[in-house]
Amino acid sequence: MNILFAIVFSLCTFLLLCIAPDQFLTALLDGAGKGASVCISLVATYAVWLGLMRVWEDSGVARGVSKCVKPLARRLFQTDDEATLQAVSMNMSVNLLGISGAATPYGMQAAKLLDKADNAEYASAMLFVLNATSLQVIPTSVISLRIALNSTAPYSILFPTLFATAFSTALAVVLTRIFIQPKTTVFFKKQGAGI
Amino acid sequence: MKYILAWTIPLIFLTSILFAIFRKVKVYDSFTEGAKGAIPLILSIFPYITAVMMLCKLLEVSGLEAKLSAWISPLFTFTGIPEEISSLILMKPLSGSGSIAVLTQILERCGIDSYAGRCACVVYGTSDTIFYIGAVYFAGMKRKKLTAALVIAISSYLLAVVFACFLCRIM
Repeated sequence: MNILFAIVFSLCTFLLLCIAPDQFLTALLDGAGKGASVCISLVATYAVWLGLMRVWEDSGVARGVSKCVKPLARRLFQTDDEATLQAVSMNMSVNLLGISGAATPYGMQAAKLLDKADNAEYASAMLFVLNATSLQVIPTSVISLRIALNSTAPYSILFPTLFATAFSTALAVVLTRIFIQPKTTVFFKKQGAGI
Repeated sequence: MKYILAWTIPLIFLTSILFAIFRKVKVYDSFTEGAKGAIPLILSIFPYITAVMMLCKLLEVSGLEAKLSAWISPLFTFTGIPEEISSLILMKPLSGSGSIAVLTQILERCGIDSYAGRCACVVYGTSDTIFYIGAVYFAGMKRKKLTAALVIAISSYLLAVVFACFLCRIM
């Protein structure tokens, strides 16, 4: 990220120097301002979802859901830590429901916990890849946009999207499995016993 | 179908609250305790979001993004991707709000139910904003692990785009 940032930043600055040097600072401030306003709207989103998430935790919903998803999460992430597995499971289930507002806080919580885990490199790569390739089942925002623009068949893209996103997620998981191998596969025995 | 989408979130909230009451949880205390966590969370991601947003704006203003999509579009047409959507393919990993703007533009220009329009919709849904997620999730982490994961995410995204356009042609 450091290298990427440096390269892209200097390349863009150089280009702007050639075509419109007066727009440079405006662009920086514009971008930073957008960052700030994104953060403000995110504070509201996170407050709502973190509140609900706390209610889930206190009423035992979080524990129940993660119990169902846990075998899969354990297999994918190769970790046995309860708190980590719960955060990861909730991140995955909320993602499937398409509630990205709640998925992000869980994901960040999971990222922090995974950083300390045995297979930190593998597990955090897996978390990133799963979230980046989108687990969402129903592309809500696209469908509502198509309805708003008076499409004759707003739902026609549902199945192609479903297949394409399943394909990208599966491919990413397999690639991660191959190229960033977990150092220790602690769960080999437990997997067999669990299933 | 339209109603199912609209009902999902209210129903999730309602059942959660009712269930919590049933379990004798102090809902108000619990909710406010959770909401408190939003401020430190935002503080930890604010610098990264700002930096990424700034970079995206620079990419746009300097014209580098337009140049890149002009260079790449022959490659796209070769693999069956309509060239109208190349700007969306480049924008999607960078910014959510930016790509929804590009998507709307494409839909208005090419028609919602045209081949390019449907491809654009499917491509938009295939993947999330990869760089943004990287910036947010791994804020403050030792970043060296992320490079390989980033390459994996980007390449599966691009392959899925080819696959998505193929699906649009046959479905």
